[in-house]
Amino acid sequence: MIEELRKKAEELLRSDTVKVVFGYGEGSTPERTRPVFITKPEDVNKLTWNKYCVYNLTTYLKRQETRKLGKPAIIVKGCDAKTIIVLLKECQIKREDVYVLGVTCDGVGEPLATKCKACDVNTPRIYDDLVGEKIENKEIPFDERYAELDEYEKLSEKEKWDFWQKQFAKCIKCYACSSICPLCFCDRCIVDKNQPQWIDPSAHPRGNLSWNVTRAYHLAGRCINCEECQRVCPVDIPLNLLNKKLAKETEKNFKYRSGYNIDDELAMSTYKEEDNQDFFK
Amino acid sequence: MGKKIGVFVCHCGTNISATVDVEKVAEEAKKNNPGVAYTTTYKYMCSDPGQKLLRDKIKEEGLDGVVVAACSPKMHEHTFRNAAVKTGLNPYHVEISNLREQCSWVHPDKPTGTEKSIDLVRMMTEKTRKDRSLTPIKVPVTKRALVIGGGIAGIQAALDIADGGHEVIMVEREASIGGHMAQLSETFPTLDCSQCIMTPKMVELAQHDNIKLYTWSEIEAVDGYIGNFDVKIRKKARSVDLDLCTGCSSCWQVCPCKKIKSEFDMGLGNRTAIYIPFPQAIPSKPVIDRENCILFKDARKKNIPPNDSKVCRKCIDACPIAPVKAIDYSQEDEIVTEKVGAIIVATGFKELDDTSMYGEYGGGKYKDVITGLQFERLASASGPTEGKIERPSDGKEPEIVVFIQCVGSRDPAKGCSYCSKTCCMYTAKHTMLYKHKVHDGHAFVFYIDIRCAGKDYEEFSQRAIEEEGATYLRGRVSRIYKKGDKLVVLGADTLTGSVVEIEADMVVLASAMKAQDDAEKFAQKLSIQYNKDKFFSEMHPKLKPVESSSAAILLAGTCQGPKDIPETVAQAGAAASKVLALLSADELEREPVVAKVDRLPPPVFSTCIGCFYCQRVCPYGAIEEEDIKARDGSVIKTVARVNEGLCQGCGLCAATCRSKSVELAGFNDEQVYAEINSVEFN
Repeated sequence: MIEELRKKAEELLRSDTVKVVFGYGEGSTPERTRPVFITKPEDVNKLTWNKYCVYNLTTYLKRQETRKLGKPAIIVKGCDAKTIIVLLKECQIKREDVYVLGVTCDGVGEPLATKCKACDVNTPRIYDDLVGEKIENKEIPFDERYAELDEYEKLSEKEKWDFWQKQFAKCIKCYACSSICPLCFCDRCIVDKNQPQWIDPSAHPRGNLSWNVTRAYHLAGRCINCEECQRVCPVDIPLNLLNKKLAKETEKNFKYRSGYNIDDELAMSTYKEEDNQDFFK
Repeated sequence: MGKKIGVFVCHCGTNISATVDVEKVAEEAKKNNPGVAYTTTYKYMCSDPGQKLLRDKIKEEGLDGVVVAACSPKMHEHTFRNAAVKTGLNPYHVEISNLREQCSWVHPDKPTGTEKSIDLVRMMTEKTRKDRSLTPIKVPVTKRALVIGGGIAGIQAALDIADGGHEVIMVEREASIGGHMAQLSETFPTLDCSQCIMTPKMVELAQHDNIKLYTWSEIEAVDGYIGNFDVKIRKKARSVDLDLCTGCSSCWQVCPCKKIKSEFDMGLGNRTAIYIPFPQAIPSKPVIDRENCILFKDARKKNIPPNDSKVCRKCIDACPIAPVKAIDYSQEDEIVTEKVGAIIVATGFKELDDTSMYGEYGGGKYKDVITGLQFERLASASGPTEGKIERPSDGKEPEIVVFIQCVGSRDPAKGCSYCSKTCCMYTAKHTMLYKHKVHDGHAFVFYIDIRCAGKDYEEFSQRAIEEEGATYLRGRVSRIYKKGDKLVVLGADTLTGSVVEIEADMVVLASAMKAQDDAEKFAQKLSIQYNKDKFFSEMHPKLKPVESSSAAILLAGTCQGPKDIPETVAQAGAAASKVLALLSADELEREPVVAKVDRLPPPVFSTCIGCFYCQRVCPYGAIEEEDIKARDGSVIKTVARVNEGLCQGCGLCAATCRSKSVELAGFNDEQVYAEINSVEFN
C-alpha cells in the first residue's frame, strides 16, 4: 500500500496535477510519524503509511505557509475526509483546488485511538482517488457511536460543573487546541479581539472557562471528532468529550452529522420547519 | 473626555411610578457615576412639556448623551430621538431604557421593580457612553407599487395609487378580480347590491391607464427592500391567450364537462372545465381548469403533451379566432419580474369551510346546512338559483330557516378564539333577504351576543328583529339531526331558561372568517409577521395599523384580520396613502442601524474568513460576497458584505459570526459589552 501511495503521489507531481503532496513521513522513532510536504517527484519515498498515522493532515489546508505551496494532494483517512466536506461547505476550499487522496483504514493508534472504536468511515466518503482495498463502511447505531459519553452523562449537573472546573483549571492557554484544529480557521480568533476583550487571555479560571466553552461552541455542529485537540493538549484536558457531546446533541436534535454527507445543509445556519422547537416555551 | 449624560426617568402617569420608585432610580443613576451630569423625573416624558424639558436640558447642561427611562423603544424611541435632533444632537446618542413593558408592568412590587430599574438604567447609561453618531442611509425609490390580491381591498388601494399618478401592478391568483365581495348578494347596512357597487370598480381598474393587471398569477418570490423590490410573478398557464380571446363564450358553451362544482357559487352551482368564474368577471376571458378538463386528464394518463391528446378538442374547434386560435393547450407557466417601490398585501380571507368538525351540526353531511357565503350565493340574482331561496337538497322553498351565529368564531376549543366581526351583521341581513323573498317564512337566529357596533349597524339589526320579524334566541345549538325532510335544531334559550326545538327546512351557519390556507407560507415569502391565527400583523395595533413588520409593505383588508367592507375600503385607502407618501420622494431615508463586515488595512483586509454563515442565517438576503482583489486583479480573499438597503438590523449575522467580524451599528460589540459589564451579578 505504501508503494501504491508513492506511485500515485509521483504521478500527480510529475503530471503537474498538484504542486505538493501532504502526507505522513517516518518519525524519530518507529512509533511516530510526522507530516511531510513533498514537492518533488523524486522525494516520494519519504511518504509512509502505517497505524501510527493518527493525525489529521487537513489542518494544513488552513495554514498560510502550506497554502503558499500551491495546489495540494492530501492524504486523508475516512475520518479526516469529513473535514474536507466541512471545509467545502464552509467555503474555505474549492473542490478543484485540492486533490483528495483517500486511504482506506481499519484503525490507527497503539492502543487503538478512541475515534477508531466506532468507525463507520473506513473508506473515505469523499476522494479523487483511493489507495488501499475498499472496506465496506459499517452502519453503527447512534448509541454505540457516542458510547464514550456514557460515563460522563451519568454525572449530575453539579458533578459535571465540578469536573470541568477541575479540568479547565489546568489550562495554560497555549491554544494548541485551536492551532491544530482544521476547522478553527479564523484569521483572527475571538480570543485575539481586545476591543472589547470578550475572553480574558490570562490563565485565570474565569478566562479559562470562557475560552474552553467558546471554543467548544464554535465547533458545535461542525466538529468531526478527529480528536486532534485532545491529542495535542499538553495538560490532558479531555476536550473531545465536550465536542462529542455537542455532536451528539446536534445529531439528536437536527439529524445532522458534520462532514458526513456533502449534500446535507449545515445544522447551525439552516432553518428547517421540522427542526425541534420544543425549547420555545 | 467622557460623555455628559442626562437621565430622564418617566412616571408614565402611574404606569411606571406605581411599581418603581422613580425618584430613587434617578438618584441612583447619578451615584458613583461621574459621567451622568443630570438626572430628573417627569410625569409624562413623551408629552410636549416633557420633550421640551429634554431639549432644554440638553442645551443648558451641554449633554451629549441621553437616557430616557420610559416605555418600550418601539413606542417612543423615535419621539425622543426627534426631540434631540432639534437641539443639534445626533439622534443615536439617545437611548431608551424600558422601565414599563420590561419592568413595571411585569413586576408586582416596588422594591424589585426599583432594583431592576436601577440596573436597566445603569446598563443603558454605559451603552450610551459608547454610542457613536450615525447618519441615515439614503436609498432610491422605484415609483411603482404592487398590489397583491384583487378583492375590494386590493382594487380600492390600486385605484387610489393609480389616481395619484403612479403605476400599479396588480396580481390576482384567481381567473378574475373581484374577490369575496363579488360573491355577495346585498351588503349591509344599506342592502345595496354588491355587484352593482363592485363591478364598476372592477371595470375602472381594468381600464385604468396606470394599472397593469395579472390575473391567474401568483407571487413567486419577493426580493429587495423599501423602495426597491424585485417581484417574481408566476403567470399560471391559462391555456387561453388573453390578447387574442374576445370572451365570446363559444368555448365554454360547448365544453362537455359541465358538472364541476363552481368555486364562485360555493359548490351550489356547476361550471364547465373551460370557464369564466362569473358573468361579470374581469378579464371576461376563460381559463381551462386543467385538473378537470378531460383532454388534460387524458394527456396526464398517457403521459403525452396535451396538444397530442385527441379525446376532446371541442373548445378549440369552437373558437372563432383565426388564423391562430385563442386557446392554447400547450401554454406553460411563465415567470415575469416587476420592479416596484412598495407593496400592498390584500390577500383576503377564507370562510371556515370545514364544518365537519361540528359533528353536532351534522358534520358537513346535511346538504341543507349551509354556510353564510353559500347563502349569499342563494340570495344573489346572479347565483345558481337566480336569487330564489331554495334548499340545496330538493329545491324546495324553506319555510323555516335557522341561522346559527359564531360558528367557528369565539370558540377557542374547536375554531378560532376571535370574533369574526361581520357575522352578526350579515346574519341580520340574511334574515331580511330571506323574509323579503319568502314573505311567510320564519327566521330564527341563535346568538351569543349581538355585536353591531358601526354606523347604522345597531339600527339595522333592530330592523331585522322588529320590522322583519326575525326571532332572535340567545343561546347555543346543541344538536341538529334529520327527521324526514326536516332538520331538527335543538338549542337553548338562555334568556327564558328553556330548551328550544325547531323543525327547520334549512340551517345557515355564520361561519368564521379565517386566514387564507397558505397565509403562513406567503408571509414567510414576504418576511412579514403574522399572529397565531395566521393573520398578518400590523406594526402597531393603534399607531401603525396598516404597516406590516417590513418597511414599505402595507396591509389592507381581511388578510390582517376579520373586517367588513367599509372598514376594508378605509384601510385600503390608508395603505394607498402610505404608498403615495413613499413614492412621492425621490430618495428615502432609512435607519442606519445596519450590520457591517469589518475592513482592515492589508495584509488582513478583513477578519472575515468567508464562511458565509451570516449569509445563510440572514432572513433578508442582505449578505453578498465580495472579492478583495490585488492590483493585478487576482482574488486575495472572498469576504461577506452587507447590502445596507436590504439589511433590517436584526443582528443575526453578528450573533452568528465566530470571528466577530460583523457588527451592528448602534448595537456594536463595545456597546453590548459595556451593558453586560455594568450589571452586578450576585
